Amino acid sequence: MSVLVRLEQAAFGYNGRPVVAGVDLEVRAGDFLGIVGPNGGGKTTLFRGLLGLLPPLAGRVERSATRIGYVPQRESLDPIFPLRVEDVVRMGAYGQLSGLRRLGRAQRAAALDAIARVGLADKARAGFASLSGGERQRALLARALLSRPNLLLLDEPTSGVDRGAQRRILDLLHEIHVHDGLAVLLVSHQIGLLREAAREVLWVADGRVVRGSAAEYLAPERLDRLYAASGTEDED
Amino acid sequence: MEDIGWIERIDLFRWPLLAALLAALVAPAVGAFLYVRRTSFHGIVLPQFAAAGVVFSYAILGWWIETIGLGGLTLEEALHDPHAASTFGLAWGAAFTVAGLAALVWSGRRGGPEAARAAAAFAVASALVLVFGRLSPIGRGQVDQLLQGESLGVGVHDVEVLAGALGLAAACLAWFGRDLVLTSFDRETAVVLGKNATALEGLFHGIVALVVSAGTLILGPILVFGLLVVPALAARPWARSMHTFVGLSVAFGVASAFAGEAASLEWDLPLGPAIVVASALFLAPARFARNRS
Repeated sequence: MSVLVRLEQAAFGYNGRPVVAGVDLEVRAGDFLGIVGPNGGGKTTLFRGLLGLLPPLAGRVERSATRIGYVPQRESLDPIFPLRVEDVVRMGAYGQLSGLRRLGRAQRAAALDAIARVGLADKARAGFASLSGGERQRALLARALLSRPNLLLLDEPTSGVDRGAQRRILDLLHEIHVHDGLAVLLVSHQIGLLREAAREVLWVADGRVVRGSAAEYLAPERLDRLYAASGTEDED
Repeated sequence: MEDIGWIERIDLFRWPLLAALLAALVAPAVGAFLYVRRTSFHGIVLPQFAAAGVVFSYAILGWWIETIGLGGLTLEEALHDPHAASTFGLAWGAAFTVAGLAALVWSGRRGGPEAARAAAAFAVASALVLVFGRLSPIGRGQVDQLLQGESLGVGVHDVEVLAGALGLAAACLAWFGRDLVLTSFDRETAVVLGKNATALEGLFHGIVALVVSAGTLILGPILVFGLLVVPALAARPWARSMHTFVGLSVAFGVASAFAGEAASLEWDLPLGPAIVVASALFLAPARFARNRS
């Protein structure tokens, strides 16, 4: 399996101060990884480093032919914008456009296909802000897919949505992972769902990152020990 | 005004009428972006900073000519040369606008309630206008006209300056509008997609500074902040996409300009305030619009 992202002794942080350090990690095509750990342990910092939003303070970050599809937390998007679902999804193709060039027929069709794939075909022209939390999350997933990624990074994709919507999002992610061969990396506090979805996890605590099997790290007894050691509580 | 017909009135005041129309074509589009970025208060505060800069230019004009010089002109010549005085005023208006914008953006990054910061900035800018106005031994008439929104003295050179500044701003919005929407809506995704979000935000602030400083210099702060804020507020409830939002904002702005100009010519009202009052009429129907998104 080809390496999509390689970190060698990487450190990420803010204002010159590392929050996570000494990270050696390879994300390969075919990976389905969850990022877990206590609050303040460095999950978000590592995630932003992998996305390229934070430059490394030390070490090396290599991305070879990596096309990242990013699904942000939907709460970070302001409902004041008058945007339809198709407007939001089409943003996934903006990386290929500049200046006055408009979306081509093929890109518009691909946007509609992506919307249909996440089960929102009947809501393509609905206001993005009028959707339920789960529907908005699926629209953002469709936008990420339109950028034709080989690595999908998702920030808390199932938080704040009901059980049915969580199930639907995870099934969709599984289908995309298996069918399209996309590597998936997601941050989540919902350990129960991660236990079902991810094969491996990155345990991030006290500025360190450890990779291990999901079954092993997310076993309730082990989690209790890990959270107790970091002085926080399991949130699931 | 009663002795001359409409055609003669329009011909007599063609330059101020054209200048107001140009502002109504561009400022509401910028205002739509300010609205969705939740920075409409910039539309209120920045014209006041621009006005302070223009008044400041009059306060220091005499000293500037004596010590630095202004194209070899004397103070008397500079005051009667439309190019010299307005270009000097534009430069200082732009400098104060950029300084005010930088202060707002910088203080915004440090947190705190936005309304309080905007109110404080507005109070400071308004006080600066009055202080500089008192310190200005010259140009009293121009300053008073500017602050009252009385723009019937606008000439062809002013329209040229305004058309250049607003044309540049409109071209930038057309060229970068899509990326500005993406960056404003979801900055992190914009960066992941390869957009230079910092440069795009800088460009947007530049567009705001350009529209505000040129508009304030030539048409006064009241018209500029009215056109930046009111049409977008009236258009938002009717809009389902950014295209319709920007389009409706501009349509309301232009309709307000026509209505305000007609009222100004008919009843001898100051042009800027007449247009802003006309634009407020579009707010009433917006109350009955279903929020379409």
